[in-house]
Amino acid sequence: MKLAAFVIAMAIAAACQAAPEFGGQVRPQWIDNQTNRAGPLAQAVALQPGIAALPASGATIETELRASAHGLSFVGTLQQQRLEGDRLRSDAWVNELYGSAEAAGWQFSAGRKIVGWDVGYGFRPNDMVEQETRRTLLSVTPEGRPLLMAEHFDASTAWSFVLVNPNKSRGQFGAEEPALAARVYRRDGAIDWHGFARYGAHTGASVGAALAWVASDAVELHASVRALTRADTLASDSAGSSALLRANPWQNASVSHPLQALVGATWTNAAQLSVLAEAWWDGSALSDAQWDDWAVRNRGLAALLGSPAPTPAIAGNLAWQASAFSASTNLRRANLFARLSWQHDKWQPAVDLLYTPADRGRIVTGSVGWQGDRVRVDAGLRVYGGPSDALLAQLPTRRIGFVAATWSF
Amino acid sequence: MKKLALFAAVAIAASGALAQDVPTLLKAADKYRMSSDNMQVETQISVFNTDGSPDKERRYTVFAQQKHQSLVLMQSPAEKGQKVLMLGDDFWLLMPGSQRPLRITPMQKLLGDASTGDIATMSWAEDYSGTVVGEDRCGEPEQACVHLSLSAARKGVTYQRIELWLGKAKHEPVKADLYVQSDKLAKQARFVMDKAAAPTAVTAMLLRDQLTNKKETQVRYLARKEHTVPEAWLNPMFLARNPALE
Repeated sequence: MKLAAFVIAMAIAAACQAAPEFGGQVRPQWIDNQTNRAGPLAQAVALQPGIAALPASGATIETELRASAHGLSFVGTLQQQRLEGDRLRSDAWVNELYGSAEAAGWQFSAGRKIVGWDVGYGFRPNDMVEQETRRTLLSVTPEGRPLLMAEHFDASTAWSFVLVNPNKSRGQFGAEEPALAARVYRRDGAIDWHGFARYGAHTGASVGAALAWVASDAVELHASVRALTRADTLASDSAGSSALLRANPWQNASVSHPLQALVGATWTNAAQLSVLAEAWWDGSALSDAQWDDWAVRNRGLAALLGSPAPTPAIAGNLAWQASAFSASTNLRRANLFARLSWQHDKWQPAVDLLYTPADRGRIVTGSVGWQGDRVRVDAGLRVYGGPSDALLAQLPTRRIGFVAATWSF
Repeated sequence: MKKLALFAAVAIAASGALAQDVPTLLKAADKYRMSSDNMQVETQISVFNTDGSPDKERRYTVFAQQKHQSLVLMQSPAEKGQKVLMLGDDFWLLMPGSQRPLRITPMQKLLGDASTGDIATMSWAEDYSGTVVGEDRCGEPEQACVHLSLSAARKGVTYQRIELWLGKAKHEPVKADLYVQSDKLAKQARFVMDKAAAPTAVTAMLLRDQLTNKKETQVRYLARKEHTVPEAWLNPMFLARNPALE
């Protein structure tokens, strides 16, 4: 509640300044989650109901407030959510709250801010600051990172230096890790060039590069690559074993010298039919060998049923196996993505497919959006599938339906 | 035979003289929308259905700068925070949630009832060359007009061919037929002037879609002022800066 009061107070304070910009949106939405009957978490819950939380359906209302004036910017979100079997819960958070100023030809920012880098759609290896979640069902404003930033712009070159998460401890993982990141951008006619570098408190140095090239009136090509000294991940010290453990074997770890790369293209015609195709490699994701060991352990744990081993212990160990799904932003190292969309007057239908060749897993999403003057309506369905041993077919969720209405003011 | 040769020589000389006049005519016509090389223009787009009922409305702040450079800020609630930067034949889009400028193709430019070209492009002299077809009667009330046939002089423009009618006396734009790359008639435009008898500025452009839905789009110029933006504003990565843009 204190945070909610703070969010509202900041919005009002910013709005009360001279000539402020003020706006926002209210979005009621319904998410219908169909849980999976396969996979380690489903097996665990079947053995011991309630041992782990499964994805739940429910209604959510999010109110986003935006205000800016005199070099101060604020974006905050209030959320009321009621999931099936749970009470009404309220939450609030600050997406952005930062100050900006200019001195000696440099632009400076300090506070919580969204800083998005890189050129891809399905995966962004060089999104070194925000590390935004990709392929969300609905367009959402992410939570910015605490940072100090200095930027310099001329007609065709831009330099950015960012100290991100300076208030966090060195041991923080993933996007929470304190780091110094830099980007240089250069416009060269039809090509945008980007160079990136990052030094993380415990992951060390990484460098990257990206380009976006408008090859013709209809075609854009993009590519991105990043080489890392280390990347955060999860690893299990009981690989392939079916021994029952007293603690989650999936613990924080790091992978050495991973490479991440993406190539992609978009094609759009005059009728606003658009095709996006991307392929990427994420060397920070768990390897095929690690997933093979994971599958062996899952089978071994399931085989303990009927043995003297206590059922709650088997269920608990199976539930811990689901931790591996959050080891990296990509489940598999090799990924293919395609999206077909069409903008026709106020309607925007789209269908996309994420495919993992290693196990033929897939996520298919179909959606349609309608945009009015102030109201936007979105609805869609996402289905996870593939062969029974595919990782995407073993996630806790099997299918998600959603409908949302957004009123902008 | 001598008469025919004389007629041909006069015709060639006359067409040459008219062709030389085209840049001057276009510059004169441009002044009614762009009184300076660098402008800030508040623009309102209203789209009407074929039965005249309102369909949608959008507000834009356009920084139209020299050398084919334009920055468009979307101001309507549904699009607030979106920005489009046009530097000659190159285009970028910023969506407000991501704060990540995105390179887009000419086809991905804001299309629909009023394209980015309709909103951000306010001059013909730098983008088109052409010939004077002749004199005609046009407009409401009808007046003597000069009919120009224009072809795109660079590839980034929205319309490849324009048939343009200017008032003969003051060279204000009266109407235009706008053709896309396939040489299909995409839109027909009519221009509304502030003062019919002594026009000084275009206050609105009425576009009727001829390709798809036959809807009418009214592009109203609510306010204009001379404004040269800093060089950094025209850097694509600067789009993510907020609230530095006024």
